[in-house]
Amino acid sequence: MRILTCLKQVPERDSRYKLNQDGSRVLEEDLVFETNESDLFALEEALRLKEKLGGEVAALSLGSDRVSKVLRNALAMGADRAIHLKGPEFERGDAWGTAHAIAAAVAAEDFDLVLTGVQSEDMAFAQTGAVVAQILGWPCATIVMEIALEADTCRVQVKRELESNVFERVELPLPAVLTIQSGSHPIRYATLRGIMQAKRKEYRVLTVEDLGLSAETVGEVAAKVRHHRLLAPERKKQTVMIDGGAEEAARTLMDKLVNEVGVL
Amino acid sequence: MAGRIVVLGEHRDGRLKKISWEAMGLGRKLAAELGKDLCLALVGSDIEGLAREVSRRSGLEVVVLANDRCRHYTPEAYCEVLAEYARTDDPYLLLLGHTYQTMDFAPTLATMLDRGLIPNCVDYRSTDGQLLWVRQVFNGKLNLEVSAKGDPPYLVSLQQGAFPASEEDLKVPPRVEQRQVGVAEGVLRRKLLEVMEAVQTKVDLSQAEIIVAGGRGLGSQEKFQLILDLASALGAGVGASRPVTDGGWLPKEHQIGSSGQTVTPRLYIACGISGAIQHLVGMSNSGCIVAINKDPYAPIFQVADYGIVGDVFQVVPKLIEIAREMRP
Repeated sequence: MRILTCLKQVPERDSRYKLNQDGSRVLEEDLVFETNESDLFALEEALRLKEKLGGEVAALSLGSDRVSKVLRNALAMGADRAIHLKGPEFERGDAWGTAHAIAAAVAAEDFDLVLTGVQSEDMAFAQTGAVVAQILGWPCATIVMEIALEADTCRVQVKRELESNVFERVELPLPAVLTIQSGSHPIRYATLRGIMQAKRKEYRVLTVEDLGLSAETVGEVAAKVRHHRLLAPERKKQTVMIDGGAEEAARTLMDKLVNEVGVL
Repeated sequence: MAGRIVVLGEHRDGRLKKISWEAMGLGRKLAAELGKDLCLALVGSDIEGLAREVSRRSGLEVVVLANDRCRHYTPEAYCEVLAEYARTDDPYLLLLGHTYQTMDFAPTLATMLDRGLIPNCVDYRSTDGQLLWVRQVFNGKLNLEVSAKGDPPYLVSLQQGAFPASEEDLKVPPRVEQRQVGVAEGVLRRKLLEVMEAVQTKVDLSQAEIIVAGGRGLGSQEKFQLILDLASALGAGVGASRPVTDGGWLPKEHQIGSSGQTVTPRLYIACGISGAIQHLVGMSNSGCIVAINKDPYAPIFQVADYGIVGDVFQVVPKLIEIAREMRP
């Protein structure tokens, strides 16, 4: 089984954002980046499938030098090789621009499965996997909770999450794209041994030219959605912030809940 | 009629989902602002009854795109039918609810139409005839205004609960256009094997007066005990955000949010919950919301009545102490 997992680098969850002058993007200088958690669930599934069925797991990301941290971590977790689509052309794409780059990389190889997370924590488009599938002409299943796959088969069965406690089981022919829901299996940590081994694994860098693409077909230029400005969300309520040390804050809160709100 | 605004309705078991009524509410408003016609489109098989009822209530024309292969949802049949509909009717805007079903087929549909899909919108502004859509990005810490490049049709999905539902019952004679549409066998690669309902939940938080909920910030199953202790001291129900049930710290039936329960207690105390939109849709209508989180920019504070920026492991033990003093 040859599996590709796509991983996106996003700002850390607890990041504090500062905007550039016209408010069109966040300033990256003070941000720390990590792998999009949803994509790590996809990598975990890929590694489990490989442990069961053999084959290989490749990890792909796109962007500037800093995304190498995502790929090094994937190699340390157990991926066999890394594919880094590198260059400014790939940056700030929407699902369309990003998916075209990924699809070109996939088309150049011979994968049975492409796994992605359900959505990214920064842009939350929740589309890239499905768009990759459509460009490649592959079937796709999103929001996958379980994968049932046997060796030497040309079909995969998956359990998908629908809403309100309803699930479905579907079957797709391979090759296929699956987007993996969080929580399927706990994400493994990179071990020291894994980190050492990662240094000797294949790390391939591909540019727009290497993929045979023109710069207009990927990234921000190709995007179908134009970004205007970023804004602080409107507060839905006037929040009373309670200051002080833990004890003082706890006492003030309980006092307000009893005497002002009357809910206790 | 070309250039309409079309709400793509989602239905299950003969009922239209609430989010589709919300999309119709917004569709009505946009139709008036932009001077466009509005209709609802439904894909399925044997759904004329539903179509008539929705048309009677809403006063909208309902277009039924009927094919036996669409009796149960599969993305390939839906996309085939809807792409054909979009090409023949040339709508201006396709409005969808941002549901798991939409997430499954709408990106494919948009790509088939050579368009982008603007997902999960919470608001809009119209300036100079252009629609700017507002989306939540960066884990809900920022909003982003976006617009679609190029020509219609534009595809937009709406966050559940972000727009008021169109709820009036106009009791008008229904207008239903029934269209038999084709789906070639060859496009159907993904086969539906079965639909399963999870076992009836034993934990019903919908009636709880007080809920204490914990999130990722608790860090582990052992440490989550703190939330159970506070709930017990306050006589409250126990809730959780997705990372808690994903991690197995608490059974799935305690999950609150879009893939869990929706609750409206008089008091909701959120501890170590950042407030992802999927969680907020399940609890933001609670009477009084208290948020305790170490990140002052966590979106949970946007919906909180009272907020404490601090360490749950410092604050919650104090709350337990005080609660026990109050209720010996």
